[in-house]
Amino acid sequence: MKRLLTLFLLAVVVVRGAEPVDVLVQGAEKLEVQEIIAALKSPVKVTIGPFSFWTGRIGSHSVAVSLTGQALINCTVATILGIEEFSPKMIVNQGTSGAQAPYLALHDIIVGRRSLDYGNFITSIRRLGEGSAPLEWRSLPQRLRDPVTGKFVEFPEGFAGDASALAIALRTRNPMGRVFAGTIGSAHEVNLELDRVRWSANTFGMAVEEMESGHVAAVAHAYGIRYIAFRVVSDAPYDGVPFYPLAARATGLFTVSFLENLPALPANP
Amino acid sequence: MKFRCLILFVCLLRLLHAEPVEILLVATEAELQPLRSKLSAPRTETHAAWTFWTGTLAGKTVALSRADGDPLNAVAATTLAIRHFAPKLVVTFGASRAHDPALHSGDLVVSEKFAAFDGMVSPVTPIGGGSNPLQWQILPHALMTAGEQEKYTVSFPADAHALAVASGLSIPHGRIVVGVLGSAYQINREADRIAWIRQQWGTSCEDTESAHIAGCAQLLGVPVTGLRVIDGADGTAASIVLEFLEAWK
Repeated sequence: MKRLLTLFLLAVVVVRGAEPVDVLVQGAEKLEVQEIIAALKSPVKVTIGPFSFWTGRIGSHSVAVSLTGQALINCTVATILGIEEFSPKMIVNQGTSGAQAPYLALHDIIVGRRSLDYGNFITSIRRLGEGSAPLEWRSLPQRLRDPVTGKFVEFPEGFAGDASALAIALRTRNPMGRVFAGTIGSAHEVNLELDRVRWSANTFGMAVEEMESGHVAAVAHAYGIRYIAFRVVSDAPYDGVPFYPLAARATGLFTVSFLENLPALPANP
Repeated sequence: MKFRCLILFVCLLRLLHAEPVEILLVATEAELQPLRSKLSAPRTETHAAWTFWTGTLAGKTVALSRADGDPLNAVAATTLAIRHFAPKLVVTFGASRAHDPALHSGDLVVSEKFAAFDGMVSPVTPIGGGSNPLQWQILPHALMTAGEQEKYTVSFPADAHALAVASGLSIPHGRIVVGVLGSAYQINREADRIAWIRQQWGTSCEDTESAHIAGCAQLLGVPVTGLRVIDGADGTAASIVLEFLEAWK
């Protein structure tokens, strides 16, 4: 009887996933998670398919650090797996980005007042030889179904960052640059044409562009999980600063400080 | 007593984890509706914003999942469906718009492979220099692989057996063509850009989710196939999928 009960409990753990965590912290690349993994107390590595997670504690929180890989396909799959496995109360997506606002410099950090997918569009009709006019393309908003009504809801402004996490992040020190609240835009794009950079900054209010946070924000919203994104400027096309991957260290250290400043999280409703 | 405990154990496990299915079918609500009405022993379950229907179609156990017309919903739903229903094959199907000028309305494009053509890098261009998509470089998706290595992949493979089965179907109108299913959350209507996408990515046609579903399936190690009807009306691809299920062994 006792052995069967033990077997059953083990099976439940296997089927239902690992122990829940307070915070799922994500980075797309190894450089973006290495400072956070290094700060984990009693780290344990968990692998699900091709995705790696490291669990442990930072400050008063149990944390799962997730190496998502870049762009929509990787980060959406990794986020769903991370949520299903670890049932987090909050998701922090952080890493590098390209400046879209001219005032931003290398190592500045944008805390996501909101995050959105800006890479979706419908073009006008043009015949062969009439070229392509990207500044005339009309944007398509991310949609999600309301789980109660089943109807689509459009999110043209993207998804708001968690207000209390935003406030704590704005009081957290960036050891290498400044900290601003702003809008983070995601698409599988690297935009270096300044006219298009200016267009997307004006159209969506974007401070920085990168490839994941708007997608993760949508998934977090669908699950009703608190969400915040941090993006360090790693390239600044207005200043001619090319991609500097080691800038990821700033947002990693910033995220560790944020987690240490973050009060205990209440249980999910 | 032990036997009763074992029964309890099995029942609780079934409550915690759904039954595996043979095939996962992913499409728009309009394309799924005719299949949903034919499901035997249907069950419905919802996870966050995504709903799934399971049952039997043409003698095969299936799960139906809504792609909802964009890569994020499609990838999220496919990931959840693979995790909960452990299918042996993923089928993405529906309508598409031709990139290959030789394709006509009603032609069925069967996936030889998939290309998620939404990635780009533009050249450094100063203010006033404009934006010219025909000069952009492509940026392939870099799927995560074991050992924490990302692998840049211009196209994702399609299942060869499913291709053989689909190639032998008979369809009411048009031809069956083997090709590259392209997807992005874009509706491209500029002929020069369509020609550029086809030149860069080798796409036969475009829709808003198929290649992203294929990338997700590849990440999670499940074979995938795609069936796309050029300019297909709602329900056209669903009837072809029913034929495919009959033929699938």
